Amino acid sequence: MTNSINEIEEAEVILATGSNTSEAHPQIARRMMTAVDKGAKLLVIDPRRTRLTELADVHLQIQPGSDIPLMNGMMRIILDESLADRMFIEMRTENFEALQEMLNKIDLAEVERITGVPLAEIRKAAILYARARRAVICYCLGITQHVAGTKNVQTIANLAMLTGNVEKEFTGVDPLRGQNNVQGACDMGALPNVYPGYQKVDDIACREKFSKAWCTELDPAPGLTLLDMTHSGANGPMKGMFIMGENPVLSDPLLDKVEETLSNLEFLAVADIFLTETAQFAHVVFPAASFAEKGGTFTNTERRVQMVRPAIAPIADCRTDSEIISEISTRMGYPMSYESSTEIMEEIALLTPIYGGIIHQRLGGDKWGLQWPCPDQNHPGTPFLHKHYFTRGKGHFIPGEHTPPVEPPCEDFPFFLNTGRVYHHYHTGTMTRKSEALNRESNQALLQVHPDDAKRLQIREGDILCVASRRGAIQIPAQITHAVAPGSVYTSFHFSETPVNRLTIDTQDPIAKCPEYKVCAVRIEKAP
Amino acid sequence: MDGMYILSKDHLRSFLRKINKANRLVAPIVNRHGDTLFSVIDDLDYAPYEFNQQSQNGIKSFFFPQQETIATYSSQDGDYSFTAPSDEPEPTVYFGVRSCDLMAIMHMDDVFMGEIKDQQYMAKRQQAILIGLNCNHPFENCFCNATKSGPFLGSGFDLQFTDQGDNYLVQVGREKGAALLKQWNQFFTPASEEQIQNQYQLSLEAMANFQLNVHADQAIQRLQNGQVPEEIWQSLSLRCQDCGGCAFICPTCTCFTIVDRKLSADHGIRLRNWDACTFSGFTRMAGGHNPVHHKTQSIKQRFMHKLCHDVKEHGSPSCVGCGRCVDICFGGVDIVRFIKMAGED
Repeated sequence: MTNSINEIEEAEVILATGSNTSEAHPQIARRMMTAVDKGAKLLVIDPRRTRLTELADVHLQIQPGSDIPLMNGMMRIILDESLADRMFIEMRTENFEALQEMLNKIDLAEVERITGVPLAEIRKAAILYARARRAVICYCLGITQHVAGTKNVQTIANLAMLTGNVEKEFTGVDPLRGQNNVQGACDMGALPNVYPGYQKVDDIACREKFSKAWCTELDPAPGLTLLDMTHSGANGPMKGMFIMGENPVLSDPLLDKVEETLSNLEFLAVADIFLTETAQFAHVVFPAASFAEKGGTFTNTERRVQMVRPAIAPIADCRTDSEIISEISTRMGYPMSYESSTEIMEEIALLTPIYGGIIHQRLGGDKWGLQWPCPDQNHPGTPFLHKHYFTRGKGHFIPGEHTPPVEPPCEDFPFFLNTGRVYHHYHTGTMTRKSEALNRESNQALLQVHPDDAKRLQIREGDILCVASRRGAIQIPAQITHAVAPGSVYTSFHFSETPVNRLTIDTQDPIAKCPEYKVCAVRIEKAP
Repeated sequence: MDGMYILSKDHLRSFLRKINKANRLVAPIVNRHGDTLFSVIDDLDYAPYEFNQQSQNGIKSFFFPQQETIATYSSQDGDYSFTAPSDEPEPTVYFGVRSCDLMAIMHMDDVFMGEIKDQQYMAKRQQAILIGLNCNHPFENCFCNATKSGPFLGSGFDLQFTDQGDNYLVQVGREKGAALLKQWNQFFTPASEEQIQNQYQLSLEAMANFQLNVHADQAIQRLQNGQVPEEIWQSLSLRCQDCGGCAFICPTCTCFTIVDRKLSADHGIRLRNWDACTFSGFTRMAGGHNPVHHKTQSIKQRFMHKLCHDVKEHGSPSCVGCGRCVDICFGGVDIVRFIKMAGED
């Protein structure tokens, strides 16, 4: 997030797109509601109806995968209405001409047709957003889990820069991160191409710095992306894997392929707090300590690094993740002996400029952590980003053209399938499905079907449906609801009994390599 | 021993040490993270008890734990046998309990020790001595003046303390309190007329010190007359984030659910867990039908129960005005907001 979470409360306009915020990020939704109480306008772009769309002043119920035409249309309207922030564009950005040229070619009637949203609604949203003095855009996986994911994000950036809605407090672009520490994991280099702090593996200076600190030669080639590994297949390059706290046997697309890969590995080790579907494929399982049993830091979606302290000692033979890694490393010939997470944090500060001033001593007591960038120990942290200049200097407009979903509905597979999350469960349910209370609230996936479609197909509430895509089929009970538009169905991926990722497509965004979980084509029929 | 007594603050710790000999001691304690919580005092010499902040929890969980084993079971050839837990609760003195939390215990007594006696609750309750502490300075979100459950209470305690600066005025409530006072009478001197008068003065000042202005009576009346429009339930339910925090933090919410947890092929435990009427699973039937429309009515039962049904049943609302739900609610659908909305024309 370029902003801090609390800044959302003070925004005049909030544009939420690709985010079912009240279910997936209730603490963020809470700030949005407070902002609405204070008079903010809430604009929501979502192909579905959610709690948030009910609260919205404008709900743009788009066709799946039409985010770019919609936002380009909004930008064209902003240009036509002379609401672009010319001063900001002049001083802080470059390549505006290219954007303008592309926008001038846009036919707004075509935008209406592709997005399925009345032009008047688009215009209303565009003008509200552009006129606001303080506007934030919150986006989530509905933006990124598309084959056009990167272009979607770039288009959001275009919209924010066109209107000067960055660089200020209460104003910015806020990708909502999911897990408590997914931001921290990325910050620490749990990505194939960077070391901690987004220092590039193929940059010689970065590599030499880490090589020197770690007293070892480092491979100059970036690593493999997730699906390059889990989809490498029976005869692929993967021979061994060590998987920590991840459950690809439920969470990755093309589950058959994932299972083929994992079952043909020469060696698989898994560290997790429970014996997950993935751990059942492993040759060795390390019982890992849970969040309550370990110390260190988590970094949340607002870049805030916060202390975590063990509430209880690890149960039985569980070890913390850092102990497991250190012990494996030591036995494999590279001794690691950190006396505590404090020592690890000091190494992070030494090697990672954005974490340069973050040490445990500054995080304890009554303090609520520090937000990176925090380059030195006198730095108070950074509540919002891009004040005065962008990380790269000037903000670069990258015009994005419509990239339709790879697999639109057709005669054989006439429905859009969208996948997501429910409030009561978390990801593959490794933790939440162990809770009796959460299981009572929700213990099975349901396929949301619009009443018109249900009537046409003679489907009743609770009927078991067979849902098939080009890749596989699952059986799942129907839930008839106006939450989905006619022609679209929706379900969640938490439940191993209904592994929806047998259906999803593995086509990825060419840059981010994120698969298009949000759109594929399916057919539905009553199970025999 | 009846009447009013004085305990010097200098001797509070030594008094507590005496009663700690035969009793477990529970009081609001600041933990190492700075949170004030009713906790068991392990070591009186190092117990940072805190009476100037509102405790984040009430004392509900000491009588009705968030999760409680109510039986163990074993099965053999399809036959189940159940065994009730055998552990006896310890005698416990609860010190520094505010008026709202004392009222909450009286309400819980109605629920768990009314017509149907809940054995596990009753066992703990019978072993409890409640020492109250009147509120000279209501906290930020308090509104017990509106629910008539404070800030000074006339009953519901075994002993009641009032902070008078250098000393506490001590008032005897029930028999157990009188016995405690008698046993340790060296700590107490009879209160002077002036000190007794001072308590009255303090109670008047406390009434004037509330920061919130909550008109519970008006909301109660409108609920009873069916004058609260559906739109209020709808708009609040939509914002409810379904976390159950209000029910869990509430000192009078007593709903629970029972689950069986299998520990091996042939044995397990039967648990009683806190539940909340705001959860959709609370009312959902086996076939999937839910008589409560979750999106538009999820919080209706909660406020109806607190402010309407219990008034009819027990003569007073089961909201004790502690304000904890105001602080904890994500979505801003706490009872104060509701009372305000229900009272607006």
